[in-house]
Amino acid sequence: MDGPVPTASGTGLPGPPDSGGRLGGPGPGRSFLGRAEEYVIGALIAGLGVFVLFDTATIAVPGSSNAMGPRTFPYVVGAVLVGAGIAVLVATARGRVGAAEDGEDVDPNAGTDWRTVVQLVAVFLAHAWLIERIGWPLAITVLFAGAAWTLGARPWWRPVVVGLLLGLVLQAVFGTGLGLSLPVGWLEGVPLIDG
Amino acid sequence: MADATAVLDGFANALQPMYLLYALLGVFVGTAVGVLPGIGPAMAVALLLPLTYELDVTAAMIVFAGIYYGGMYGGSTTSILLNTPGESASIVTAVEGNKMARTGRGAAALATAALGSFVAGTIGTLLLTLLAPVIADWAVQLGPADYVALMVVAFVTVGALLGSSVARGLASLALGLFVGLIGTDTLTGQQRFTFGVPLLADGVDVVVVAVGVFAVGEALHVASRLRHGPVEVIPVPRGWRSWMSRADWSRSWRPWLRGTAIGFPVGTIPAGGADVSTFLSYATEKRLAKGRHKDEFGNGAIEGVAGPEAANNAAAAGVLVPLLTLGLPTTATAAVMIAAFQTYGIQPGPLLFENQPVLVWTLVASLYIGNLMLLVFNLPLVGLWVKVLQIPRHYLYAGILTFAALGSYALNFSPVDLLLLLGIGLAGFFMRRHGYPAAPLVVGMILGPMAEEQVRRTLAISQGDLTALVTSPFAAVAYGLLSVLLGLALWARQRERRLNEKEPAVMS
Repeated sequence: MDGPVPTASGTGLPGPPDSGGRLGGPGPGRSFLGRAEEYVIGALIAGLGVFVLFDTATIAVPGSSNAMGPRTFPYVVGAVLVGAGIAVLVATARGRVGAAEDGEDVDPNAGTDWRTVVQLVAVFLAHAWLIERIGWPLAITVLFAGAAWTLGARPWWRPVVVGLLLGLVLQAVFGTGLGLSLPVGWLEGVPLIDG
Repeated sequence: MADATAVLDGFANALQPMYLLYALLGVFVGTAVGVLPGIGPAMAVALLLPLTYELDVTAAMIVFAGIYYGGMYGGSTTSILLNTPGESASIVTAVEGNKMARTGRGAAALATAALGSFVAGTIGTLLLTLLAPVIADWAVQLGPADYVALMVVAFVTVGALLGSSVARGLASLALGLFVGLIGTDTLTGQQRFTFGVPLLADGVDVVVVAVGVFAVGEALHVASRLRHGPVEVIPVPRGWRSWMSRADWSRSWRPWLRGTAIGFPVGTIPAGGADVSTFLSYATEKRLAKGRHKDEFGNGAIEGVAGPEAANNAAAAGVLVPLLTLGLPTTATAAVMIAAFQTYGIQPGPLLFENQPVLVWTLVASLYIGNLMLLVFNLPLVGLWVKVLQIPRHYLYAGILTFAALGSYALNFSPVDLLLLLGIGLAGFFMRRHGYPAAPLVVGMILGPMAEEQVRRTLAISQGDLTALVTSPFAAVAYGLLSVLLGLALWARQRERRLNEKEPAVMS
């Protein structure tokens, strides 16, 4: 973090051209796609339950004569999953759609911005892939800067500088200071960073 | 009764400079986190779980307790000063507090919230000090069947009563139970649902699940519908000495006490935690208000801030009673705190008071101290919290993802944990989009394996007789009370819903 920043200058730019492909329209849950999503989730939960019930049958039961083996509890959990999944499907069909969680920073009138979600996931995957190749401090810089840029930080170099500083400080505190073995990668041999 | 010397020993321990510093750190982080939108106390403790591997258990618990109380204080600042409602526990504060701030009485709202939180937190902690040892003494006699009953109570109330949909709450709970199953069965040594992945043989780490559901899931959800534009904070007049007038005091102290009386018991029973207590307190204050003050409700009545804020903090203290004495988490934050204990190999429960008296009483003493620190922090430092509140959102959520990634990676130093974190985060994201509460998942994951073990013990003692699960007197009473509790809680929720319908302008 670069400390307290005056409100307007650093906050998400209201300017429409670079706000990251916002899709207009109603919030999720009410639209056709939101409904479809709701059914898919309910089906996935019930499906997971079915899988649990079948997979439980493959858990080996040792010969000892115990009151409750390793299968009983999974059977119960599988059954609850199936039941809950079906209950969700029924509730959705009856029009009782789950309300999306709101929060201070959630715009209740904004549609889902899938592009932002996909970009964040991509940045996160890049971070996981890069850790063992370029080291933790630089990989976390990629995550922080990529995420902040996706969410509207401009100009591009500002989140990069903030992310790099954050990565170096965290590496110095947790790696060098507390002894967590975070890989230093490309920064090998740098004093304070490579502990 | 609490052994007075043990309590005093706790204070002597907590007052050591090092532990005072940890308490300070905890309440500072807790307040900052409470002020920041998007980070609740559950997420804060979850994010900090791995960062305390280096601390001794007492220090870590002091930090967590500070975060826990601090988060409750910070939330009220947000809901009073920000134009949008804050943490769920303090949404009713937003109704009146926000209106007060708009009419230039923000300082009084902040002051009555902070003082009310202090009064309620202190009384709540005092009740905890007196009650916990008594309950722990009694709980020692509970058998495994009784614990099964308690856990069933927790499952049903947390699963069915949190969130707006019973089906979705149960689904979330079942998902948590499933995640808890993954790994090696403790009794028979059989691998369950590990899919041959060696990392899963030890089970999925609670840290990954809690951080994934709370931090990553929340960040993705907010990011997908981010409110753009500057953060609007209602300005507060300077000079904290003149914050509350004599009239404000005389209108506040009774709601503080009533809020405490409502919040603490609601916190101790698994009935939805702090949220329910704030709504009950708000409804009570509204009903008791007379004349001119009654008309102020909806337009900035100080009683509507003082009561719910006190109830909120008293409930936070109440939640610690079942947590410490029975090992029973009734809120998401409590579940994550159980996970924190477990990383040190300590199981909260009746034996905690016998086996770890120093730890318990130092923790309780640090609650008193932290509460005092919070009062000192909150009133004069409000300018600082306003600055925290204004952190640009792109940096805030990027920072949350950063700390989530750090915490999960530091568990095993394996990128596989990061993939697991992302997967669980995406699950949390879709759950949030469709009204699935996150708390039952974490509670289910932590309580599930414990419940399985207790059922096994019960059946081992009864030699397979299933009726043993319900014939113990305590268990029978618990199941009976559960039905009563369900009725009561559903009633309280209906009240809450009606209240929401009556105040449609709140969210604007």
